[in-house]
Amino acid sequence: MIKVEHLSKQFAYYKKGIGLQGSLHNLFRRETLTKDAVSDVSFSVEKGEIVGLLGPNGAGKTTTLKMLSGILYPTSGSATVDGFVPWERKNEFKRRFSIVMGQKNQLWWDLPASDSFYLNKCIFGVEDAAYRRTVEELSELLEVRELMHVQVRRLSLGERMKMEILAALIHRPDILFLDEPTIGLDILSQQKIRDFLHYYNEKEKTTVILTSHYMRDIEALCKRAVIISSGQLVYDGELAAINHLMGDKKLLTLKAAQPIAADRLVTFGKIREQNGTETVLEVPKESLKQTASAILASLPVEDFTVTEVPLEESIAHIFKKEVAGL
Amino acid sequence: MNPYRCVFRMGIEKSLEYRVNFLLTLLSAVFPIVIQTFLWNYLYGNADAAALFGYSHDQILVYTLLATLVSQLVHTGFEYQVNEDIKNGGLNKYLVRPVTYRYYQLCSFFGEKMPQLFLLLIVATGLVGFSVLVLGLGLTPLRILAFVGSLLLALLLNFFLFYCVALLSFWLTDVNLLFGTVSVVLVVVSGGVFPMDIFGEKIALLFRILPFGYTTQFCVNIINGKLDWGQVGTGFCCQLFWIAAFALLTFWMWRRGLKRYVAVGG
Amino acid sequence: MEHTFNRQTGVSHTPKRRLAALGRYLRLFFVFAKFSLMSQLEYRVNFAAGVLVETGWMLIKLLYVAVVYRAGINIGVLTPDHITLFIGTYVLMTGFYMLYYNNFTSISSLVQEGQLDMYLVKPVSSQFLVTLRRLDFSLLLPDFVAGIVMIAYGWRRAQLPSDWRSVTGFVILLLLSNLLTYSLFLLPNLLCFWFISTRGIADFTAALWDFNNMPQMIYGKWMQRIGTFILPVFVITNFPGLFLMGQLSGGLFVWSVAAPFLFFFLARLLWTRALKSYASASS
Repeated sequence: MIKVEHLSKQFAYYKKGIGLQGSLHNLFRRETLTKDAVSDVSFSVEKGEIVGLLGPNGAGKTTTLKMLSGILYPTSGSATVDGFVPWERKNEFKRRFSIVMGQKNQLWWDLPASDSFYLNKCIFGVEDAAYRRTVEELSELLEVRELMHVQVRRLSLGERMKMEILAALIHRPDILFLDEPTIGLDILSQQKIRDFLHYYNEKEKTTVILTSHYMRDIEALCKRAVIISSGQLVYDGELAAINHLMGDKKLLTLKAAQPIAADRLVTFGKIREQNGTETVLEVPKESLKQTASAILASLPVEDFTVTEVPLEESIAHIFKKEVAGL
Repeated sequence: MNPYRCVFRMGIEKSLEYRVNFLLTLLSAVFPIVIQTFLWNYLYGNADAAALFGYSHDQILVYTLLATLVSQLVHTGFEYQVNEDIKNGGLNKYLVRPVTYRYYQLCSFFGEKMPQLFLLLIVATGLVGFSVLVLGLGLTPLRILAFVGSLLLALLLNFFLFYCVALLSFWLTDVNLLFGTVSVVLVVVSGGVFPMDIFGEKIALLFRILPFGYTTQFCVNIINGKLDWGQVGTGFCCQLFWIAAFALLTFWMWRRGLKRYVAVGG
Repeated sequence: MEHTFNRQTGVSHTPKRRLAALGRYLRLFFVFAKFSLMSQLEYRVNFAAGVLVETGWMLIKLLYVAVVYRAGINIGVLTPDHITLFIGTYVLMTGFYMLYYNNFTSISSLVQEGQLDMYLVKPVSSQFLVTLRRLDFSLLLPDFVAGIVMIAYGWRRAQLPSDWRSVTGFVILLLLSNLLTYSLFLLPNLLCFWFISTRGIADFTAALWDFNNMPQMIYGKWMQRIGTFILPVFVITNFPGLFLMGQLSGGLFVWSVAAPFLFFFLARLLWTRALKSYASASS
């Protein structure tokens, strides 16, 4: 469905010194720098898949999505989306996909959202019956039925985002790009939008690429993740396998009757945290059993639990490794 | 795209940005003057316009040039600030301090206008020099002095005039939206586009009585020699009268408005 | 807008399809008009203020008529009644221009804040969406009323022909003038894709537009030529009136039809270039 090969994008910009002196200096001699926003990224997405595009701020996630929607031309490389080259900007192509950007809105501020939906119906040339059905169904799913005739400016941020998503789906796109769709929303709204996207993808088999800062979004929706850092692809695979990449560690949380000296714990594994009687130990997966029984045998432990290393941490680790490797 | 080409082009664009902008702004300031000059040349070339309008050809050209500049000079902008202060309670911080709001705004207005006044005087000097040498306009140092004096008074008059308009904010909530209209209309009636006394004796008399002409038209007519000394003297009296009248009006409006402001709770 | 359609869809150019696309764009235009009016009426005080400010500006324009009337002379072949018709045309065209003017000035902020992105992914000409989506009826209203009144008054007083051919010709020329205004004044505004500050552009176009405040005959020969053929602002408000007076020669008549399409084509070309530069340079 989506195929990206050696995609690169460079921006040129100026370096400017601080203050007036910098400006004056700038007038005479300018240092031009090029920034590799995206360099040599390749991946592909199957029909109906939801892929999470992860990376720290400025990693090139949005730039990649913009190239895939034809907003930006790449400096080099190629991509096809549903058989189209995005930056040729064919109308046929534009009818097949939709992009939602958390920080950009397409709804008319002073009018009810239903009017903006109608405008999109006209723009995309959707049939009356199909249009009515879509709005009916999606407004029900997103629980915004009663808000359809309220001016957008009177809606809360979460409600507005739901409307934005609805507006983007009026023409029933095959492909959906979501750039930070839950940014700035409260937990409840995030949850609602997540549930909706999950359901919609299951039902419509829409191909989705999603970027988000909230790992919960990614964990809930994506089986697969593509991670980019400083413009480069650093991971492409199962989300669940990321821990594997980290060396398969588990976390042991111990609760003891009295504080235990650190040097006694070190022999069992790396101490990640120690807080009074509570300790978190990092233990290799394969030796988990032996370590656990050894601890129970030799230490005054009252309670203990085993957990996975949080995904955020693994991913942050991947970013760091990449930066260090440069 | 080739990165070197990209960089090269961006370099050209950056250096052009400032200059193009400057050139365009300059052109747009010159265009209205060009239009009016053509208009006057045509009218004066094809009719006995001097007798009709009461201005000689040279006088009207000098008028066209200077009126634009003078109406720019006296143009205010503080009314939006005053409106904001009254509406959102920003006034409180002035009320509790030992400053008078009116004089605070007045000083800020004059401070802002001084560089403009200076620039205007340089342009006016060049223009007047040109008029004296080429057009043979009679000009004495006394007239220049009177011109500068009238400009300062015009600034003061326009300040109080717009201060009155601004103080309407005490009573009307959306007065902000009126400011644009008031300011456009006042440019017209103060002679910023054409001198109002070309439209016949009755209208000329009306505008000699009304305050508006004393913010622009009166000043320009001193320097282009349209007014004799008797008229200049009367003009100054009228100007001072209107300043006093509007200053008193602002006192009155302020007192009434403040009562209301305090009563409402700011 | 048929040209827009061809570029965008890339389908075969059969007249039937062109007509269908034209119909679609017209329908969209009416939706925009309706939505703009609805949005504007949400803020009635703003609407009134728009009407007032535009009326204030019109007052300045009418002052020019007053001056000419006062002089009571002809300008070239134009009697004061003709001049009323010409300035009426100018006032009416100003109203139409102001209807979509705010879209032009907001292009630069669309570019800078990246809101342009949302218009690039729609299967409709992005130029159409960006330049005609917000229509300001509060500015159109006073100019429209005053312009029509002045045209009608001048037309009658000057005893110009009012048979159906003259009226149709005049209306068609007005429509062409709208296309020319749109294209000619969009061109400088597109510079904001390369030059960030646009204050100068706004001032310049406003001043350029005001040249039509007077019939072109008051300007010198060379200025008339430049204003007719190079920066054809004079064509916009002078040619419909000249046509009524039977003063539009064959060559100029052809130009009055050709110029709007030529400049529309140029505007299309520059728009495409501008988007290319946006897509390659922006971040």
